[in-house]
Amino acid sequence: MFTLSGIVETLLWGVANGCIYILLATGLNIIFGVMKLVNFAHGQLLMIGAYVAFVASTALGLNAYLAILVAMGAVAVIGIGLERFTFRKVLGTDKLNEIFVSLGLIYVFENAAILLWGNDSQRIVSPYESLRLSLGEVAIGYDRIFGVLIVIAILIALFLLMKKTKIGLAMRATSQKSDTSMLMGINIEKVYIFTFALGAALAGVAGALYGIIFPFNPYIGALPTIKAFAIIILGGLGSIPGAVVGGLLYGIAENTAVYFLGGIWQDAIAFALLIAVLVLRPTGLFGEKGE
Amino acid sequence: MLEVEKVSSGYGMVQILWDVSFRINAKEIVSIIGPNGAGKTTLVKTIVGLLPSKNGSIRFKGEEIGKLPPYEIVKKGVNMIPEGREIFPRMTVEENLRLGAYVIADKNKVKDSKERVYQIFPVLKKKEKLLAQNLSGGEQQMLVIGRSLMANPELLILDEPSLGLAPIIVEKVLDTLTKINEDGVTILLVEQNIRDSLSIADRGYVLEEGKILIEGKGRELLSNDHIKEVYLGI
Repeated sequence: MFTLSGIVETLLWGVANGCIYILLATGLNIIFGVMKLVNFAHGQLLMIGAYVAFVASTALGLNAYLAILVAMGAVAVIGIGLERFTFRKVLGTDKLNEIFVSLGLIYVFENAAILLWGNDSQRIVSPYESLRLSLGEVAIGYDRIFGVLIVIAILIALFLLMKKTKIGLAMRATSQKSDTSMLMGINIEKVYIFTFALGAALAGVAGALYGIIFPFNPYIGALPTIKAFAIIILGGLGSIPGAVVGGLLYGIAENTAVYFLGGIWQDAIAFALLIAVLVLRPTGLFGEKGE
Repeated sequence: MLEVEKVSSGYGMVQILWDVSFRINAKEIVSIIGPNGAGKTTLVKTIVGLLPSKNGSIRFKGEEIGKLPPYEIVKKGVNMIPEGREIFPRMTVEENLRLGAYVIADKNKVKDSKERVYQIFPVLKKKEKLLAQNLSGGEQQMLVIGRSLMANPELLILDEPSLGLAPIIVEKVLDTLTKINEDGVTILLVEQNIRDSLSIADRGYVLEEGKILIEGKGRELLSNDHIKEVYLGI
């Protein structure tokens, strides 16, 4: 039976799940916007983030939420390495080269994870796991609430970074016109490294949050990537507000589908949304007309 | 101030410039004219480092800059305004100007430059909070000129600034360039609009098929037979 409290709870969970997607989609979108690079291995960075947080919380005994910071830093460093040693070599050559590099990286990361941590499902144990906030008949876990708060804080920081700092100004300029940006004296190679590190760091946090809420294994990256693509197409390519609104809408749509239609519909929603947006509004909700 | 010596350049395997040599003295306005496809844009892109030069040397104030990346060249005091009024469309007028001063760390200097640009182009002050894409074509041209002044350049290179502008605005742009020049900025003007650009230039060069064909004083070139015949249709 569908009940009001059930619906409210579904919406809240949708928002909470949406937050993970927002981080992933925002990172993917920043990288796409600034570098025009489509990184299909972005979800694998989420997966690595989950494992790094897992190691930090088990081997180092860190609180799950401190482990998020470790994941963020570690995945940012991995991002720098990826940009420097793989994508930079092919950037601007041919879109196909970039796509194949990123597809190859999917397997590199998955296999590396299997080698390091095995095939089994893991989870990050949060000290607040059993705590729930009850509002009448609706209950929501503290971990999800913390997740939402963390994402809000990150988005505010991101907004300030883009609007108030020099590197943010340079990133926005590069995303609009890379050649002209160079003429302004912007070292766009540095901007690219920073952008990729930032996008990767967001995926790392997304992964750690994912690992706190859901069990994970080396294969969890693939589906979130597709969902993140659906979200940035929904919100508009290159638009950060688009990724935020798109991520929320997506998280809610997914949970609503599960509640009303059943669990098997969860992932189909991504593709249904993707197709619907491409048919109805190809530029996305916040998208600019092609440039 | 700028000495270009036997520079060849092009895109990938396609060579466009063949041993191009010319020079610009401090405080001059030099115009490079030539038909579409002569290699004018290739030449300025090579000077500012957007394209690699295959051989030859490019010296700015005696220092070799031929192998430097664009951002280093900007720091040395060379600034280019590319063809087609390349504003940052989804940024405000003020942000566009701030980007022009990207290489300048001193915030007070940036502020002063901004005031100076607003003095030259009061309309930019009035519209500083607007997105640059909402400006008219003429205003966008003012914005890119103002933006380039933000870096306090010693050499300003303009690629086809008159392209697509109404004659009355072209005149304004040329007036402004003369004034900027009087303030001590050396100017390299690359143009298809030959009559206008040569009329304000101290010296001019004719670039055809990737080679410098003729050089001379600005106004004298207007009475050159080849130029009269090919470009002015007299």
